[in-house]
Amino acid sequence: MSDTLPLGLDRSLIGAEFDSSTSEPVAAEDIRAYADALGEAHPSYLGPDPIAPPTFCVKFRGTRFHHTAIPREAFHGGFDAGKDIHFGVPIRPGDVIHTRNVLHDVYEKTGRSGSMVFVVARQTMTNQRGEMIAVIDSRFMLRPKERAE
Amino acid sequence: MSTDDVEIGHEIPRLEIVVTGDQVRRYAAAAHMPGQRFVSDEVARKEGLPGRILPGNMSMALLSRMLHDWLPQARIERLGVTFRGIVQPDQKIRCSGFVTDRRETDDGIELECDLILEQGGERRTTGLAVLRLGRGSSTRS
Repeated sequence: MSDTLPLGLDRSLIGAEFDSSTSEPVAAEDIRAYADALGEAHPSYLGPDPIAPPTFCVKFRGTRFHHTAIPREAFHGGFDAGKDIHFGVPIRPGDVIHTRNVLHDVYEKTGRSGSMVFVVARQTMTNQRGEMIAVIDSRFMLRPKERAE
Repeated sequence: MSTDDVEIGHEIPRLEIVVTGDQVRRYAAAAHMPGQRFVSDEVARKEGLPGRILPGNMSMALLSRMLHDWLPQARIERLGVTFRGIVQPDQKIRCSGFVTDRRETDDGIELECDLILEQGGERRTTGLAVLRLGRGSSTRS
């Protein structure tokens, strides 16, 4: 197995943490505003002591999206390719969310339009009791510059 | 109807919705997504888009809403999506899906579902979900 990943990245970067952050306590109004924007009608999302819809967790993204070893210009022309979320306990008002982001994978695929590189960031979120809220794998698709032009 | 009646191939009741630009703005604010492409046609066009778009996370959240509209008492264990194309406000969105697997667990059942979000007859987001719920729970239809 090569020690080098696409974009010339060293394989030892896989699993490396590039961001962590801790939120302010979640407000009930923030949960209701999120649910209301989606047109949610479920009373458990909208009442005085709401639980958050599962995807509410995506708002806690930390301060950095990707490892600094990946050059910023590599993301020009790229796009958000998708997400895979494993959910734990729901978020409730007063929860403080801790997020930890690591570089999870970098791989290349070749399609009809040429070569694409996928960068996967894994975000692990826990609450103030150490309970798992969610593990989110976010895939970002890049086109190596020399082939995109 | 009970989840005992939900078999492989069961179609999830569709969610058909038109999301307004104001809803997108409120979602982007609530989900802490500051990109101007979600609120400004002018900025979106400068980025080569036809106009403002929905955040991918909002498309994913609409698929999640469809699941909870169908099975309010279910716990979504996993939700995975692939963003295949842009989704725009003020145009009809159709979310649909069907059950691809059903597993018995100690305390209930686990359902695996394929999910599709379409706009203009094209699949813009596809995905899968794993739901867990107690045996005999009721469904919307």
